[in-house]
Amino acid sequence: MILNESGSESGSLSLALEDYLEAMLNIHDSEKIIRVSDIAKKLNISKASVSQTIAKLKKLGLVNQESYNPVTLTFTGMETAKKIRNRHTLIKRFLTEILDVDSKIAEKDACLMEHVLSRTTINKISELLEKTEKLNDDNYFEKVNINSKEREIMETVKIKTLKELGKGRKGKIVKVTAKSMIRKRFLEMGVTSGSEIEIIGVAPLGDPIEVLIKGYKLSLRKSEAADIFVEEVAG
Amino acid sequence: MDTTNNQKNFTIALIGNPNSGKTVVFNNLTGSRQHVGNWPGVTVEKKEGKLFYKKRQINIVDLPGIYSLDAHSEDERVARDYLVFSKPDVVINIIDSSNLERNLYLTTQLLEMGMNVVIALNMYDECNARKIKIDIKKLNDILKVPIVATTATKKIGMKELLSKTYEAAVNSDGSTGCSLDVKYNRELESGLDVMENMVKDYLPNEDGYPARWIALKLIEDELKMVRQLAKNLPEIIINKKKEIVDNIENSCGEDVYSLIAENRYDFIKKIITEIIIRDTKESPTSVSDKIDRVITNRFLGIPIFLIIMYCVFTLTFKLGDPIVGWIETFFGWLSEVISTGLANINAPELLTSLITEGIIGGLGSVLVFLPNILLLFLAISLLEDSGYMARAAYVIDRFMQVLGLHGKAFIPLLIGFGCNVPGVMATRTLENKKDRMTTILINPLMSCSARLPVYILFASAFFKGKQSLIVFSLYILGILLAIMMAFILKRFVFKGENSFFIMELPPYRVPTIKSTLIHMWERSSSFIKKAGTIIVIAVILIWALSNLPVGVEYASKDSLIGKIGTFVAPVFKPAGFGNWEAAVALVFGILAKEVVVGTLGVIYGVDEAGLVGAISQHWNPISAYSFMIMTLIYIPCIAVIGAIKRETNSWGWTLFAVGYSLVLGWVVSVLFYQIANLFVR
Repeated sequence: MILNESGSESGSLSLALEDYLEAMLNIHDSEKIIRVSDIAKKLNISKASVSQTIAKLKKLGLVNQESYNPVTLTFTGMETAKKIRNRHTLIKRFLTEILDVDSKIAEKDACLMEHVLSRTTINKISELLEKTEKLNDDNYFEKVNINSKEREIMETVKIKTLKELGKGRKGKIVKVTAKSMIRKRFLEMGVTSGSEIEIIGVAPLGDPIEVLIKGYKLSLRKSEAADIFVEEVAG
Repeated sequence: MDTTNNQKNFTIALIGNPNSGKTVVFNNLTGSRQHVGNWPGVTVEKKEGKLFYKKRQINIVDLPGIYSLDAHSEDERVARDYLVFSKPDVVINIIDSSNLERNLYLTTQLLEMGMNVVIALNMYDECNARKIKIDIKKLNDILKVPIVATTATKKIGMKELLSKTYEAAVNSDGSTGCSLDVKYNRELESGLDVMENMVKDYLPNEDGYPARWIALKLIEDELKMVRQLAKNLPEIIINKKKEIVDNIENSCGEDVYSLIAENRYDFIKKIITEIIIRDTKESPTSVSDKIDRVITNRFLGIPIFLIIMYCVFTLTFKLGDPIVGWIETFFGWLSEVISTGLANINAPELLTSLITEGIIGGLGSVLVFLPNILLLFLAISLLEDSGYMARAAYVIDRFMQVLGLHGKAFIPLLIGFGCNVPGVMATRTLENKKDRMTTILINPLMSCSARLPVYILFASAFFKGKQSLIVFSLYILGILLAIMMAFILKRFVFKGENSFFIMELPPYRVPTIKSTLIHMWERSSSFIKKAGTIIVIAVILIWALSNLPVGVEYASKDSLIGKIGTFVAPVFKPAGFGNWEAAVALVFGILAKEVVVGTLGVIYGVDEAGLVGAISQHWNPISAYSFMIMTLIYIPCIAVIGAIKRETNSWGWTLFAVGYSLVLGWVVSVLFYQIANLFVR
């Protein structure tokens, strides 16, 4: 395995370091600036030990910090952190959506499970989630309407297709399930996972829709929007 | 590269996203010294021009507007192959500065390829208006290529762009060296490293492309291109590539292609945060947004669309038709003058007829289309450059979906009701090959105005008092058949291609007069050159058929055309018009459908007034309607055939259009005739 050869696989980080990275990414997303004090608060650890760990992460080339300035994640640091967080969301979704675990418990369990599950297991979980998503796709919303419990889950996870996101709503793209040419077209136009997307208009006859992405306006049919999964964000 | 660098002409390619103002830059650089053609074997248009700078000839190639070099669409394939295999000296990458993030996607791909790039940050004035500042120096530090801020519509920055490009061309040593490494995630990076080393070890690299770029293309499964480039591709590389891709996909849980695109956008995002300085956090509602609120409004959108479409149609035909009349009068006058002149010098009658009817008549048949084409492209150019074209498609797409078509197919089909020639030419606005080909091939089913005289003649002979209903029914029949054909074509003929509506809605912009004029001129001259030849040849051919053998009466039963008519007539017997007169009229109708009327007059030996009477004697209501159906559907007129050849760039598809319409026309008229007769009896 190439990835192991290069010794860069994120699984080789210790549990604590993974938690650090994840926490830093979350702070980065909400505050933009990552301060040592915020990390300490978030992980409930003293500032001194945070500084120690940061030095370690710096050595690994995952973060940058100039003397007492705020910490920044490097490119690889950012990628690793994102992967850890993705793993976390994935496990949490598995626990809530498939096993019907209460979302608070799922959150806690996911925090622990994310460090110990093998990559193979995580991939299987991802496949299973995708499969069930697809199976339910046709009557996705009717189901949501009938089953209040599922609705609750949907609301906590807040994942829906772009088609279902109303006018004026914003979302973050979680996954693009479109196939072949259309998928490639989406990708080159900047409709990629992690991008923010906002519905700014609906054509007079109800279809297509107009969205704002990467600062420009794009129109697409609702049938095409049904292949984009987004996590609704406030705004 | 040869050492006589200072003797050589430079070749420069223009590349950029659609709506980046690339065409305006091209027009500014080349002026009217342009040549429009087709890339070999595809429907994509090739524009070339030249200019002289510091006594050096610079050839400029305008590549199709694309979002990436990933070669999924014909446009992208053409652009990518040109860059890889023709190696221009410099590539000018035109970027819409107000839409930097998406435009840089293509830029990073160009830089990874090691192209000698000069960047034009175009529409720079819009950035100022939107209070977005771009740190050009910093961008230059990151990308390490010359960058010029331009506003092509106001000709700002053009001189600097030209001098920087010239410098880059002179300084280029012909070798391509990678000037930018896009940072990918760990998995991709380590995969790329392995692949890159293998490329260095196993592939000859005479053209000096960056090994990392070739490695990337291998991972993206672009084996065909790499094979062409390296001339051989050892099995060991292919096997390793599979292993690497599997590894990456397993550990990232996503396909490599998406990963690469996402990583590229992440990389660009980082650049953007470093170089963009916004004065205000959110830019205030722009004028463009305000216009959009009205134009795509729930209640106003459709009425505005209909008004604009009405204007386009009126402009093209109501304004154009008087001019068409003048051209016809002029050619009529010209052939009369010449025939009198020839008679005076006792020229043989056959020669006179060849010159006046064949050659002058043929030229006339080409030029009569000119006013409509010029005016249509005036309208289309204004709609496209202003940004309304995309909105029109957006507003009407839902309706067109019912017909199985793209929103942008509306204008070509609408124009088809006036004349199918500009209708076919208007399909250029459809980016997607499948949609474009379908729209071209069904366009002749839109009943054009030239078919109206035929309908009116037969309807007034047999359906007095119900003429308008009869004519209307034929229009409806044409539309229904078009919907059916669109379905068949999409389902069975172009099934390999994809159709989608993922389309940018560019900001509204003021069109420039120069671009509009050049666009009009380019379309019209290319029609005259490409379709004109076909039309003139066909006119002369039909002239010969109706005047030979020598001494025969024009278009009589003994002429060649009469013989052909007699020969094919039995084929039309089941449709109710199995006589040689009808067959000959149909052959003449290929010249232009209204010619059917005149031909019948000549054959029955009556003038226009007597024609209704003559028709009533030789036909009955059922065969008359069946003949009208045939006139509607069978073989498009020769000018449309020329336009189809021009737009599809393929004799195969042109013959298909001729063939399918002939068969369809026969089938529908036979079905009608047979079924109608069952009811009458």
